[in-house]
Amino acid sequence: MQFTDIIKRSLRNLQSSKARTILTALAIAVGTFALTLTLGASNGAKEYANNIVKSNFDPTELIVSKDPNLFSSQDATKPQVYNPSFGSISTFGGETRQVQYLNSADLAKIATTPGVSSVQPAITVSLKYITRDGQKKYIGTLAPYNSYQKPDLLAGTIPDNIPDKTVILPQGFLSALGFSNAKAAIGQNIRLSVQNQTNQTPSSALINSLAALNSTSNASQETNFKIIAVSATPSTTISAATSLYLYTNLNQVELLNNYIYSGTSSYQKYLTAYAKVTDGTNLTKLNNAKSLVKAEGYSVQTVVDTEKLITQFIGVIEGIVTLFGLIAIIASLFGVVNTMYISVLQRTREIGLMKALGMHRRDVSRLFRIEAGLIGLLGGIIGSIIAVGLGVALNPVISNKLGLGNSRLLIFKPSQIIILIIVLIIVAIIAGLLPARKAAKLDPIEALRTE
Amino acid sequence: MIEVKELTKIYGKKDAAFKALDNVSLVIENKSTVSIIGKSGSGKSTLMHIMSGLDEPTNGTVVIDDVDIFKMKEKKIDSFRSSEMSFVFQSFFVEANATCYQNVMLPLEIAKIGITKRKKMVMEALKAVDLQDKVNAKASTLSGGQKQRLAVARAIVNKPSILFADEPTGNLDSTNGDKIIDLLFGLNKSLGCTLIIVTHDPDIAKKTSMRISIKDGKIEGIEKGPK
Repeated sequence: MQFTDIIKRSLRNLQSSKARTILTALAIAVGTFALTLTLGASNGAKEYANNIVKSNFDPTELIVSKDPNLFSSQDATKPQVYNPSFGSISTFGGETRQVQYLNSADLAKIATTPGVSSVQPAITVSLKYITRDGQKKYIGTLAPYNSYQKPDLLAGTIPDNIPDKTVILPQGFLSALGFSNAKAAIGQNIRLSVQNQTNQTPSSALINSLAALNSTSNASQETNFKIIAVSATPSTTISAATSLYLYTNLNQVELLNNYIYSGTSSYQKYLTAYAKVTDGTNLTKLNNAKSLVKAEGYSVQTVVDTEKLITQFIGVIEGIVTLFGLIAIIASLFGVVNTMYISVLQRTREIGLMKALGMHRRDVSRLFRIEAGLIGLLGGIIGSIIAVGLGVALNPVISNKLGLGNSRLLIFKPSQIIILIIVLIIVAIIAGLLPARKAAKLDPIEALRTE
Repeated sequence: MIEVKELTKIYGKKDAAFKALDNVSLVIENKSTVSIIGKSGSGKSTLMHIMSGLDEPTNGTVVIDDVDIFKMKEKKIDSFRSSEMSFVFQSFFVEANATCYQNVMLPLEIAKIGITKRKKMVMEALKAVDLQDKVNAKASTLSGGQKQRLAVARAIVNKPSILFADEPTGNLDSTNGDKIIDLLFGLNKSLGCTLIIVTHDPDIAKKTSMRISIKDGKIEGIEKGPK
């Protein structure tokens, strides 16, 4: 029998027992539904993580730390031995940990590593406040701008090299600082205030380098920054707080940072630094540079590593849901076996007739295997259509609820769904093997005698 | 020509052994009409099953046109049956949910006949049994007589050289039964196929050119010549 004839005959047989076929397919559809949604959620989460990483880290840079445990989990159940040369940080859980900081000598050493073109410390400045004449004072954070960030601008432009004493203002500060719109803010000055941690006035050289306006207290300085651009609130951020980051050039951030930590043990010490790799878009060169910096005794991560760290958690959740989906599919496959056995029993005389008319055992077996495969196909289509339909309908609601902006939580890739359905077909065919074997081995005479 | 030589068929083993056929030998000429008659359990259906290659003998051979069919591999016997033989059964065995067209198509699908040829062959077969107006009707909507005619159409669509009919009128009233018998004998003439009818009806047997009587697995007698 030709393959197309077997397909047609299988379809006709399935159609003649619609209820049984649909119920069996629905059992498969439950598992398919769970797996399709899992794949969609996993894709969405990975893309979201990817967006976060891509919009916050330069993919051609290495993230370097001196602390060997910074990029890996540390056993929090064991006490850490005090080291006077280490700095202290608080974890998100409130626990105090000691970490090794990078200093200027480390930065210089990393910068001379082959393949590394430049190194800059990873710093953000916690401003005492931001204000403007006649406006309230607001707390804020100043960070160095990186050209890969490419934020959406509401007004102004960002030059390749941001001049000193200029700042990119986030949209969130516009009305707070009394600007009617983004355009009106361009060219205006805002005042950024920093406070020295020791409450001692730092050296006059440092104050001069800041071009500070006036001392508001012994250890506090205000300095003018001119707004050159207003950035729109990004749809993807690490946290809501980064959408309020102000950006200027690295030099300005370092000066303010130096002012804050002057006279403290943290002065010019950094938790991490970014090492720019020459031709860093080339993964081989990036990984070579990573190995070389690592060999110098530093902990190093690429953007891909960082992304992996974020997606690790997603992977665990994905694994659990996938397991449930697979269990549902395995359970439904017993349904396929059962359905196909019933079908063989019901069609015993038909099988006998086909064999009497010269149908080969192999073709009889194939007929039932294909029927099982078609049930798998039907279940796969039903499950994935419902999942995609539900996903498309719920995406805006979920994105809104989770504050994902323009990102979607559920992203369905046709290729994945097609592969999933193909796998289901294959698995259903395997489930149909035993009933198909029984059908193929039926004695035609006995089969024709069956009432 | 079908040559049956010293055919023995034993079902079961040892104490439970039952001899369904006991050293049966006979020769059937091509294009002849043959009836195998006997009571229930006499072995007539077993003889038909072995002659058609559906069952294997315990001993003996069946040679069709100089080919010993039991020396063929299973796949080859299947193909041989598909191209040279056909069957009409007492219980019709039509697919109720399929149309008449789809029912008659089955042997052509099994024999892998090209799609372009099929339609013509199916229509010819349906016309031969006067069911051409039921092409798209589901078999479940047909009467008993029509179902058996449909089964006959399915049996002749592939133009077999041997047509086995196992109690073809057993489930029909006398009027429809007569029609089916007339149809089968007509097809024997028009198609030139050998018609082998298994029956316990002496009236049908009388119409055949060769009558094989079987009792307790043994040939009781063979009568030849038209009646």
